[in-house]
Amino acid sequence: MALKKTAAVELTAQEKPESELKSIWESLKLSKTAVIGMVIIILLILIALVTFITEKMGIQILPYNPNEADMSASFVAPCAEHWFGTDELGRDIFSRIMDGTKISLFVGFSVVIFSMFFGIILGAVAGYKGGVIDTVIMRFMDIMLSIPGILFAITLMAALGKGLDKAIIAIGIVSIPEYARIVRGSVLSAKESDYTQAARVIGNKDIRIIFKHILPNVISPIIVRATLGISGAILDTAALGFLGLGVQPPLAEWGDMLGRAKGYIFSAPYTLVFPGLAITLAVLAFNLFGDGLSDALDPKSRKR
Amino acid sequence: MKKRLLCVLLTAAMAMTLAAGCGNSGGGEKKSEKKTTSSSSETSDTLIFAQGADPRSLDPAFADDGESTKINTNIYEGLVQYAAKTTEIEPCLAESWDISEDGLTYTFHLREGVKFHDGTDFNAEAVKYNFDRQLPGKATEDMPYAGFVFAPVKDVVADDEYTVTIHLNEAQTPFLANLAMIQGSPIVSPKALEENNGNVTKSPCGTGPYKFVSWDTEQSVILERNDEYWGEPAKMKNVIFKIIKDNSARVIALNNGEADIIDGIDATVVDQIKEAGNTVQTDEAMMTNYMAFNTTDGAFKDKEARRAICAAINVPEMVETLYQGYDVPATTFLPTSLPGYDESIKPAEYDPEAAKAKLGELGVTNIHIITYSNPRPYNTVGGQKLAEAVQGYLSKVGVECTIDAYDWTTFKTIAQGGDFDLMFAGWGGDNGDPDNFMNLLATDDPSMNYSHFHSDKYNELIAKGVITPVGEERSAIYTECEKIIADEAPILPISHANFMCGVAKNVDGFFYHVACGTKLAGVTKK
Repeated sequence: MALKKTAAVELTAQEKPESELKSIWESLKLSKTAVIGMVIIILLILIALVTFITEKMGIQILPYNPNEADMSASFVAPCAEHWFGTDELGRDIFSRIMDGTKISLFVGFSVVIFSMFFGIILGAVAGYKGGVIDTVIMRFMDIMLSIPGILFAITLMAALGKGLDKAIIAIGIVSIPEYARIVRGSVLSAKESDYTQAARVIGNKDIRIIFKHILPNVISPIIVRATLGISGAILDTAALGFLGLGVQPPLAEWGDMLGRAKGYIFSAPYTLVFPGLAITLAVLAFNLFGDGLSDALDPKSRKR
Repeated sequence: MKKRLLCVLLTAAMAMTLAAGCGNSGGGEKKSEKKTTSSSSETSDTLIFAQGADPRSLDPAFADDGESTKINTNIYEGLVQYAAKTTEIEPCLAESWDISEDGLTYTFHLREGVKFHDGTDFNAEAVKYNFDRQLPGKATEDMPYAGFVFAPVKDVVADDEYTVTIHLNEAQTPFLANLAMIQGSPIVSPKALEENNGNVTKSPCGTGPYKFVSWDTEQSVILERNDEYWGEPAKMKNVIFKIIKDNSARVIALNNGEADIIDGIDATVVDQIKEAGNTVQTDEAMMTNYMAFNTTDGAFKDKEARRAICAAINVPEMVETLYQGYDVPATTFLPTSLPGYDESIKPAEYDPEAAKAKLGELGVTNIHIITYSNPRPYNTVGGQKLAEAVQGYLSKVGVECTIDAYDWTTFKTIAQGGDFDLMFAGWGGDNGDPDNFMNLLATDDPSMNYSHFHSDKYNELIAKGVITPVGEERSAIYTECEKIIADEAPILPISHANFMCGVAKNVDGFFYHVACGTKLAGVTKK
């Protein structure tokens, strides 16, 4: 790993930023699966943006109000009026899944930003400072990693209470150590490099060295991790929702929809299948894209 | 990196197979059902009843849960019993009784020649022994029904071998009905009680048609026929109460022939049971599922606000949708089978337009709902779904609801604290007496009277009802109470639940009694 990072560092040091972006795109294009993933992601983001903006403007673009119960029309099987059918309270499942896209994406991105922020700071400080600080931070991260992530998140949710904001914090905290470890590893190798030494010699402060000189060069593994992290966060949110720890009803969240539909698996399977497919699709898209990106950012495979 | 891609694709493929599996697993079950019915015919002298939890106690003085009642009702008998399908009182271990004019003295003439399962004789001393242990002052705190049944008792006197007289401190009409209950009142062998330090939880011994064989904790309770029974002997030789916690596992056990009768099911599994050729039996229960308003604090201190909320909810439509026709929409707190029920009494009529105007005028826009997360006997879909259905109706009249769902124990604690605007609860009747339901709203106990409702007129009626002898005059009192509830709206009755059981196709004669549960002596299996 360390070897690969050094290679990447040297490479980026030589090339100009524009050309690097272009070459990443060139190599990403070669992977069909990554492109498919990217198309799905763009589609999901578009759905999320459109439903969010129209909702704020008070325009109803979805066929039905996703949160409005209509007890006289519960458990309608998929048909022309209700494409994906209706749930036990008569809410249109298609509208709810569309509306749920923004929740899942919002949680996914928020979790990654939250955990990335703290993970990068902790990892960079640990890697750069070394010694006791490194030991304390990284052993603490190891302790967190030793507890299964979802269990840890459930425990946090039990303590914090129900709600989307708390779910973001719980899943975010759980994912901090992954970023901290990646960043620390990269920083360790980068801080011994000549340009870092040079920056120190001309009298730069530690903070400036970390943020200006080291972090830009360890950004690629973080981006790959973050892309995959979004899919993990979507899955974890769905898991919490499934366990009834996620959102305040009547908000449409995919995992929550899946959880409440599990009792109807035999009588009304469509209440279960569509949220399940939505989760699968979103997770698959981010994973495919993340894999493609990781290949594209890897100088060895890029220079093939 | 290629490997990871492969992993992702494989996972997706697995998810697809799983989804596809959902569609046809019903067919798979049918196959296995055919296989096992042949083996169950070999054990046709054994009836297996699958329930969701262990009994709490097989000593009737220490049990208050349905799981214990279902078993105890086959082992024990009281002085009197409920009629086969109603809550009328019939002779049992007492052949006849006299009640004094002032309602303070009950004299029971006992049946002769009855023996306990341990061979000792049933007599007046045995009755006295059982009742004495539960009298005020002697009852321990873990005897949940001692106060309910025996609080008004002054003393119990064994006049001779087969006559026993009970003196009460104050007249109490439901007392006789209470003696028919499976909690508290049944007669346990005094010898068994003495041998077990006064608690036969693990070694029950009564006079009923079945006697106890073994109890394997969290697994099963096994009973066998009492061949010396004084009445008509039980039809099946062995009865096994099997503990299967998971609802869907219980359904599968029934469809596989591993259980003959199961309870604790809801509307969603009905098709699954019927497809396997078994039947779903619904018997009327004595249970009311209701919503309670906080009448002392917040928006619903105001009667008009409470009535407006009642008018915003289409109860029949909601009940039909949630329970898919297996429970009955309620108009009164009293179940329809109890004396005092009057179908002309109805809560505020459904009128969302008027409700919206009224609530807007009163400024009710945000309310806090608390509910329980698990299913309850009176609400098989669980409190969360019920709360969300109500939330759906209220959002149409401009009221936003925040729902907090807790597990049952936490929920009860929070509900007693009164930190809510709306909450959900239910009540299952014990003895078939209307007082058992209606006095709930007359007590100051917040664990019973969740809405903290208080009305002097209502309390007077309840006090009068307790001492009035059974008859039209007494029924009229409870009808009057219902009118007060409909007008003041401290609660909104939602549904009267039915007992739902899955019964194997070869089982005959099963009935779920509103008060004493599952008497299995008359059940046969082909």
